[in-house]
Order: sequence, then structure tokens, then C-alpha cells
Amino acid sequence: MASIKIPTPLRVYTGNLAEVQVSGATVGEALDALVAAHPDLKTHLFVDGKLRNFVNIFLGDEDVRFLQGIDTPISPDAKLRIIPSIAGGDDAPLVDRQRIRFANGLTIALLVLAFVLNAPLLVLLVAVAQFLGGINSPFAPYDWAYRALIQRGLLSTYLVSDDPQPHRFASLVGAGVNALGWLLLTLGSGLGWLAVWIVIVLANLNFWLRFCMGCWLYYRLGQLGVRGFNAR
Amino acid sequence: MAVFMPAGLQQTILTQMEATFPNEGGGFLIGEQREADVYVYEVIAVDNVFPTEEQYHRYAMTPQNWSEMEDRADALGFSLIGYYHSHPNSPAIPSEFDRVHALPNFTYLITSVIDGRAAEQRVWFLKADRSAFDEATLHIEPSG
Repeated sequence: MASIKIPTPLRVYTGNLAEVQVSGATVGEALDALVAAHPDLKTHLFVDGKLRNFVNIFLGDEDVRFLQGIDTPISPDAKLRIIPSIAGGDDAPLVDRQRIRFANGLTIALLVLAFVLNAPLLVLLVAVAQFLGGINSPFAPYDWAYRALIQRGLLSTYLVSDDPQPHRFASLVGAGVNALGWLLLTLGSGLGWLAVWIVIVLANLNFWLRFCMGCWLYYRLGQLGVRGFNAR
Repeated sequence: MAVFMPAGLQQTILTQMEATFPNEGGGFLIGEQREADVYVYEVIAVDNVFPTEEQYHRYAMTPQNWSEMEDRADALGFSLIGYYHSHPNSPAIPSEFDRVHALPNFTYLITSVIDGRAAEQRVWFLKADRSAFDEATLHIEPSG
């Protein structure tokens, strides 16, 4: 008869047997025989009649997934082993890249408009919008506009596994530079437009090339050990 | 249910978890179950095999790590009773990802590492119906 080695946590369902003798011509038949003899194992090995993703069946040193799966033929003295995949971790935070792209696109358009119209007040409004986005405020105007477009089916989200914190920080940096630009312009210094153009250039880098200068700064500060700048 | 672990072994885990920060780290717990309680006698660090860029929130071992440790524990007359891993900048509470990968009768020791310092350690067991985790008490015994 073939034997199946049972992983330690599941031995409670085999009457503490570390190894169970079964008959069967394939891996699947052997597993069926195992579950027939020890029915409590079933829910931990199978889901909807299929082997759970994190349950690996080894025939000798080979994962049967790389052979013929549960149809792999076995010899009468085959040694099978059930090995759970050990994996864990914190659930991935998600970032909506489309939202970031939208915010950068809008920032570019509004700041260029502010420059063309010589309207420092518009720079201040962009700074406020970036600030509210950066603190993840429910009143962030960019998010309102973005959601409105999503709801009308004009844009679709693009979620990726990423830490949202550096992106929020980048938005705050943009807000800070724009606020400085507005202040300089209000005080009558043309240097304010330089600050605005720095934001326009960086927003373009993010929009076209996905390079996020604020995120880079965030990670650098984290590497330098500055508290509060730890990337997840 | 309670888990008993010597202070020295806890320190070994905390040091490893802080060293792997901001990535996740982990390893196996070897010991034995006596009635409802679990006693940890040995901790064995195991490298994280997740791709580097995912290690900030993921930890995994290979099936070969498992067989090797299980055979070793069986040969010593002990058991592979659980595994530990860290949650960098996140609480020591099992995630949904942890749940779908978990087995009952197995100790899940999670260490929360905040800003590079181990902040909290909690221990969990998956319910037999796989629906959720139950928290158990972690008793740290002075190493003698």
C-alpha cells in the first residue's frame, strides 16, 4: 500500500497517526481513500472538491502539481506527503494609480492655466486641493472630481499593491511648494512662478513616467531613519 | 488555550523580526502540545522566499523547509507546533491572507514591528471550521 505522511497540525484528524496507509492507483485515489478513512481532513485539504491552493502533495521529492496533478499515477509502495504552504503577512494596501494620474493631470492643467492667466489665487486653490488629498480628507476636491468621472464610466480605477503613504506625502510636498509659490507671488516676487513650474515638471514626471519625486523623498527620509517615514 | 515560551526564545524572535524590518521575517516553532497548552522549546528562523519587492507585507517558506523541520521535530520526539512571522508597521492581528493559508491546531505567533522596534506579540489559532482565528494567551517564562 502507498503511504501518506500527514502534516503535524492535521494529525489530530488521523488519530495522531503521522503516516496513513492507503490504496489507489493515482494521487487523487490515494487522497480519496485518506479522506474516506478520516473525513475530518476533508475541509482542510479540499475546497469545492478541489485541492486547496496552499496544500501541496509531494510524491517523493516532487510536487505533484509539476507532474500530472491528482491524476499522477502512483506505485503500490509510493510515498506521498502532504505539505502545507506556510505563508502569511499583512494584507496588501492598495493604491489607485489612475487616481494619482488624474490628480497629476489636473494639477498640470490648472497650474499652466494659472501661469497663463497670471492668477496666483488658482495656485493657492491647487495647493489646498493637494493638501486635502494628502491628508486623505473626505473633502478633497480632486477625489470628488475623480469619483464623478468613475461613476459616469469615463475613467476606471487601476489598483496596484503599493503603500499609499508615500503618495500622500508627495501630494503634501506639492501643496507646500505651490503654497510657497503663491506666497512669493502675493509678495510681488516673480520667483513664485519658479516654484509653480517645479511642481508642473514633477507632476509631468509622475503623469508620463510614473516617477514620484515626493515618494522618492519619503523613502530617502525613511532610509535616513527619520521617524514617521517608514515604508510598509 | 495558552502558549508557553521561555524569555530567551522570545528575545531571539524579537531580534530577528527587528533585523528583517521593514520586511517580514519568520520561522518555525518546535515544541509539544500537552493537553490544551502548547510549549515552545525551539525557534528556527527561516528565510523569506517571497520576491524581495513583496517582502514588506508577505512572508513564505518552501515546502522543503516544512519537510525538513517536521522530520527533525519528529525525530526529536517533538512536534512542529507552529510558525511565527512579523507584521511591519501593522498590528499583530492575523490578516485575511494569514487565514486562508492557516491550519487549525497550529500556533500562529505574530510580532508587530513599528518603526523598526518590536511593539507587540500575540498568538492565534485557527478555528476548526476555518472561519476565523481565536487568540490564545502567551506566557513568557523567565529563562533559567
